[in-house]
Parts: sequence; C-alpha cells; structure tokens
Amino acid sequence: MTKLAVTTIGSWESENVTVGQVEKALTDLRRHQQRAAVRTSVLTLVAVVGDDAEADAARSIIADLGARHPSRTLIIVLDDEPHAPNCTDAAVWVHAIEREGRAVCFEEVVLRVRGKARHHLDSVVEPFALPDVPMVVWLPVGLPSPGDPLMRAADRVVVDSRAVAEAAGDVLARSATLAKRLPVADLSWMRLVQWRTMLTGLFEGQLYRPFLDAVDRVEVHGNHGPRYLLGGWLLRRLNLPPARVQLARDDHVSVVIHAVSDGRKGTFTVARRGAEREIQSRVDIEDGPQVDQTVRMREQWPSLALASALTRVGHDEMYEEALAGARDLRLAEGGE
Amino acid sequence: MTSDNPLAEATVERVAPPAVLVVFGASGDLTSRKLMPAVENLALRRLLPPGFSVVGVARTEMDDQKFLERMQESVKELGDNGEEARHVWDGFAAGGFRYVAGDYSDPETFKKLKDVLDEIDEQRGTGQNRLIYLATPPDTFPVVVRGLAQCGLNQPASEGAFVRIVIEKPYGRDARSAEKLDATVHEVFAEDQVYRIDHYLGKETVQNVLALRFANAIFEPIWNRRYVNHVQITVAEQLGVGHRGSFYESAGALRDIVQNHVMQVLALTLMEPPATFDAGGIRDEKVKALRAVDILSPEEVAHDVVRGQYRSGWVQGSEVHGYRDEEGVHPHSQTETYVAMRLKVDNWRWAGVPIYVRTGKYLPKRVTEVAMEFNRVPHLPFAMSQAEGLEPDALVLRIQPDEGITLRFGAKVPGQAFRVRSVSMDFFYGAAFLEETPEAYERLLLDALLGDPTLFIRSDEVAQAWRIVDPVLEAFEEGDLPLARYEAGTWGPPEADALLDRDGRRWRKP
Repeated sequence: MTKLAVTTIGSWESENVTVGQVEKALTDLRRHQQRAAVRTSVLTLVAVVGDDAEADAARSIIADLGARHPSRTLIIVLDDEPHAPNCTDAAVWVHAIEREGRAVCFEEVVLRVRGKARHHLDSVVEPFALPDVPMVVWLPVGLPSPGDPLMRAADRVVVDSRAVAEAAGDVLARSATLAKRLPVADLSWMRLVQWRTMLTGLFEGQLYRPFLDAVDRVEVHGNHGPRYLLGGWLLRRLNLPPARVQLARDDHVSVVIHAVSDGRKGTFTVARRGAEREIQSRVDIEDGPQVDQTVRMREQWPSLALASALTRVGHDEMYEEALAGARDLRLAEGGE
Repeated sequence: MTSDNPLAEATVERVAPPAVLVVFGASGDLTSRKLMPAVENLALRRLLPPGFSVVGVARTEMDDQKFLERMQESVKELGDNGEEARHVWDGFAAGGFRYVAGDYSDPETFKKLKDVLDEIDEQRGTGQNRLIYLATPPDTFPVVVRGLAQCGLNQPASEGAFVRIVIEKPYGRDARSAEKLDATVHEVFAEDQVYRIDHYLGKETVQNVLALRFANAIFEPIWNRRYVNHVQITVAEQLGVGHRGSFYESAGALRDIVQNHVMQVLALTLMEPPATFDAGGIRDEKVKALRAVDILSPEEVAHDVVRGQYRSGWVQGSEVHGYRDEEGVHPHSQTETYVAMRLKVDNWRWAGVPIYVRTGKYLPKRVTEVAMEFNRVPHLPFAMSQAEGLEPDALVLRIQPDEGITLRFGAKVPGQAFRVRSVSMDFFYGAAFLEETPEAYERLLLDALLGDPTLFIRSDEVAQAWRIVDPVLEAFEEGDLPLARYEAGTWGPPEADALLDRDGRRWRKP
C-alpha cells in the first residue's frame, strides 16, 4: 500500500455540541473547499476507543487508510466519568489525498461522548451514517458486550482478538458468538494472511496438491490466538482429526505440514525466521526437490490489516471455519 | 476460476504454482520493459512460489549472470522499488535466472534449453511446469513453435504438469496468415495450451466494462437498440510512431489497434450477458458478438471507412513531423495512422445501431473510451428555445487515462426562467479506489501461470476479428480507398467528420 500525501483542508471544533451542529460544520467545510467536492465514499467507519491515546493511534491508522477506502470516519472517545451529564464535544477535519492531480477528500470526526449517551452510541452514530454505504464499527481494543446497541447500527464489526485484554480462548469463543450475528473481521486473522497465502501457494497446481489428501500431522507454533486460528483453519479445511494438529506456544508463527504422496514423505513449512522480519516457505520432498523462498514481512501492518478487513462486506467464511476449528481443538484439549 | 486447493480462498490472491517462465526474445524491449517488471511486481506481492525460475532465450550472447544483471538493471530504470526489490533479485540470483543463447532455427538451441529446464526442475522443484512466452517478432513464431516440438518441449513431460504458450499480438497479418499461424501452432499445441495476449484485456478498466454491465441492473435494460442511438469507440494516441517507423510501415493502425484492442473493447461492449463468469462463458459471448458484426462490402468500405495519415502539426505545444518524415518511413508511404469506421451489428440487440470506431496517432490527447449515445425523448414538452443546450443523454465508459464513467443528462438551469441544459456527472474509479491496480502484464502473467485463460483471446475470436478487418485491409492494400491527410494534433481528417455528419451525428470530443 503506497503512502499518499494527505493534506488537511479544513477543521472545526467545539464543546457541548449537537449532532446538527457537527453536520453543519462538515457541510460548510466541504462547501468552502472546491477540491472537497469529489467524494466517493465507500463506507462509514466508526471507531470506538477509551481515551485520547487510543484515539490518536486510531487516527494515525485511519490516515493511512484514507487512500484505500475513502470514508467518513467517526472516532468515538468514551469518557468514563460516571456522573458526567450527557454531552458531546466534537472536532472535525476534512482531508484531501492527491494523486495524479486529482484530490479525493475524506472526513474525520472525533466525538467525545459523556454521560448516559455512552450506552446508546447507535443514536450518536446513525445521524452521521452516509446514505447507502455500509457502516463498519471498529473496536481496536475490545469486543462488544452482549446487547451493545451500537451493533444494531453496524453492518460489519472489526475487532483485534490479539489486543483484547482477556484470556485468549475466551476471546475466540466470544468472537465466534459475535460472528453468528454479524460479519466479523478480526485483524489478528488478517495479519496471518501472509502465512496463509504462502502455505496455500505451496499447493497450487498439481505438483504438491496430492500431499494434502494424506496429511499425517500439522504443527502450528505461535501465540495463543494465531496458533488456534491457524490450527483450526487447517483442521477444518483439511478434514483432520484434532489429534493430528499439534499446537505449541512460540513468539513467532510457524506452520509445518507433514504429508505423504505416492509413498514419498513431504514437509511443507511456512515460518517466520526469528526476530528478522522475514517469512520462509520451504518444500522438502523425500528423494525429491528441496526448495525454499524467503520474503520480507509487509510493512504498514495496522493500516494494511484494517484495509483488508474493510475490503469485504459479508461474512468471512474462512475465518468462521477457523474459529469453529479453534473451538474443536480446545474441546479436544478438554477446554471450554 | 475455481481451485481444487482446499486452502484457497476466492478473496485472497492466489500464488502461482511452481513453474519456469521461458521467454523467447529475452534481449528485446518487451521483455525488459513489460515482462520483467511484471515478474518483479509479482514477487514483491508474494505471488510467485519457491523455486520460480526464468529462462531467457535469444540470439544475443550472454551468460546467466549477465542476463540477470541486465534484467534487474532495466527494471530498476523504470522505477526503483528499493530494498524489497533488491531482496527479490538476490533470491533469483541463486539459480533462478538462466539464459540460453542461440538461433531459433538451430535445433541445438532447443536442446540446450531442454537441458537447462531439466536442471532447473531437479534443482528448484519446478515440476516440469512451463510457461513459454513468445516475445519475438511474429515471423519467428512458426520456427520457435516447431523447434519446441522437435525437442518435446510442447507437451508436459509428466502427468499433472503443464506447458502453456503465450503469444503476443499481432496474431497474423490478415485472416489467411492468422489461420495459417493457428494451424502451425495447433500442430504442436492444443488450443487450451495457447494463451494469446492482448494487454488491453489485462487492464482493470477494460474488465470494469464487464462489472458495470453485468453487476448493475440499471444499465442492461437500456443497453440495446430501443434506447441506444449509436455507439462511439475511440482509441486515441497522443504519440506518433516515434522510433517504430519501420515496424509501423508494415502494420498500420488497422492491424496495430483495430484488429485487436478495438475489437476486444467492441466485443465486451456489445456481448450478451454470459451465463458464467469463466473463460468459456465470456469468450463464447464475445465470439457471438464479433460474429454478428456485418462484413463490409467493397462499396461499404468505400462509403463507411476513412483512412488517414498525419502530416506535421502541433501536439502539446510542440511542433512534430509528419508521418512520412519519420525515421524508417517511406517518403511516399500509404500506411494509415488513422482509421474511422462505421460498423453494423446484425443481431436482435443491436440491429440498426451504428457503431462508429476511430483510432489514430498524434491526436490531441491519449484516450480510450466507449460512448453510448441514447435516443432523444419522443416528445420534448418545452419550447425549443428552452432546451437549446440539451444534447442527447450519453453514458461514457472511459477506459484510459481517467478511468471512470460519465453520464450526460438534461437538468434545469437555476433561475426564474425554465431552461434545460445538458450536464455531465463524472465518476472516477480513482476517486473511489485510490489503491494501485496491478499492471496489465502482471495480471495476465499470473493468470497464465494459474491456467486461467479468461482474459486471453481464443482462436475463434482472432478469426472473427480478422473477418471484420480483412475487407478493409484488402481495400487499403489495393489502394481502393484514398488516404486522407490530417494535421497532427487534430481529431483526424475532415472525411471522418463527414462520415458521421451525413448520418446527422458528430464525433464526441473526449
């Protein structure tokens, strides 16, 4: 994803405002800027964060994202002062990205929400929703609580199971429950796309594809979330019994498939090489070729993962299979 | 396209299977300017498998290392992709780039090639999978194809392996030579091994014609003779022939652009909706559309075709030579640099709707577009004076450079008086999706490696395109059609304007 220059072409902020005032500010900013006229939004993105530091982090990721998914972005900062009166402070920016002489604008609205309105965020975000485009709710560090009214307004929810501060197994189970109600994109799963693509690529064409019909054992190393997701994915896609999927804790992700075809043993590996930001894929066939390839891990991960998450609008069936497989693995271990 | 790989996902890019890319014409421009940047980009996008290798074949003497260095250098000249790209080329340096020097008519060249391929299979696990790319002048195609067959390089050496051949345009010089070339190719390759490339089909925006037509319910109902008054297809180039004068002398605009790019755009615009979005479904419908294009009689060629050639003029503020003063061009050349045609399509959907096509060099700007101009309303309930500025509605699909869609329709001019004027509503793909799209060659190379021929041209498509162009070509070669001269930097000769003028229409100004 190439970084494009983003210019802020207008801003406005005020305290204790109404939704109507914020809407008017947006319209005025756009009207006063000729180049803001071109706007082809593809979604309304709502990020919900708990403090200013999280809001800044989210804004920085979204700044890189504007190039890929021009959208209206709302960042809701929840003020946890328990007895605060209902009120909202707002800051609004209109940014432009230029490429080849054409500017595309996108809008960013930060709303600090206090009081009981914090529990009715659907009523806060709905007036800002652009017509006829999906509303995607991004929860950078949490999962929605059951019955969260904001989920009623969402067409899709983006979470990051790695960033949720609770037991990882519970997070995956809660993500699975959420995915039954709404399309869910998990940035942890998105980050694993490099391993998944490279592993899948080893079996494109007919050369090594037959090995997938006789998988003897799969080893997946990594932190809790990644290893269960990748293990669950392979368990389900390759129709393996849980006993053939071995998981082990490691700081870096690696996947090894041991299989047999035509009496020849084959080992297929995709692994991050230590602390270096490189992933190696390797094919090792008994009495046959041993080939490998090393690629650099992609940079700009936070934005790239979010951008990938926003590319789809429906359910991510592969992710949901991985969650189901992760559950099978936990059950086989005697968990849940 | 479906994959039987249980790990593959439709929404995740697919990695090419293990294979060797064999490039004939490895020391040529196409290889260094198009193919190698495509290889580098595919590697940067992690879409090439471990062991992927390139073998260059050409007459120029050089060794493997020199070939690798030349290719890396030429790609870098087009745009340095930095540290990542260097990492990619370092990976290729470990036996991934090989070179075979030799004459294509010498069987020894193919024996050497076979030995190198066997070595690569053994060392790099490429499993006898080959993608052979003919980046050579068309007159070498038969000799290369036969040379491959003599060494058994035309067929997979084992079950499950593949051998595919990519052939660049021009595919023949006319219907007869294309048929002859096809017969030669089919002597040694089955049709499903042959990937005829027209890089236009690899452009995202050409594929967007399909998305616009078949993913939206609002356009297809009006995409027919009831609503469309006429269609204009423009492929305008802002450049002259440059250093390609001697090549262009034997080609001309009809062969260089109309027979391939224009016919492909025309087929995608006029085709019926395919039942399935796969190679068979799309290509069957394209062939049906091309088959419905009426062949022009000699009288119709004289009446409905304009051939032109640029003389000196001004383009983008610079004075430019006339075609006959270009390097490698005969001073009395009769080669056309501009063609305009009026075509008819004899089928249920398009009967009676003229299709005007034009292409030319040194036109005022570079643009490729398809414009559908619609019929006027049956009755205008305003006084003529109130609708002076009202043009027929039009839908324009801009393929390059500002890819997008323009809809022209009538709107009230603000104010007390009731006046109606045409306005244009523009949509730019670039404004909705700023992300970079893969280059055409990158997309097509990956598709060929993956065995997806959807965006390649089938033998019967080539035959149908030549069938349409052949009578015009004949008239050009017989000198039956006068050569109109146009000033460089204008939209073509006055005769082209007259072609539409007599139908009560005029060319759009793109």
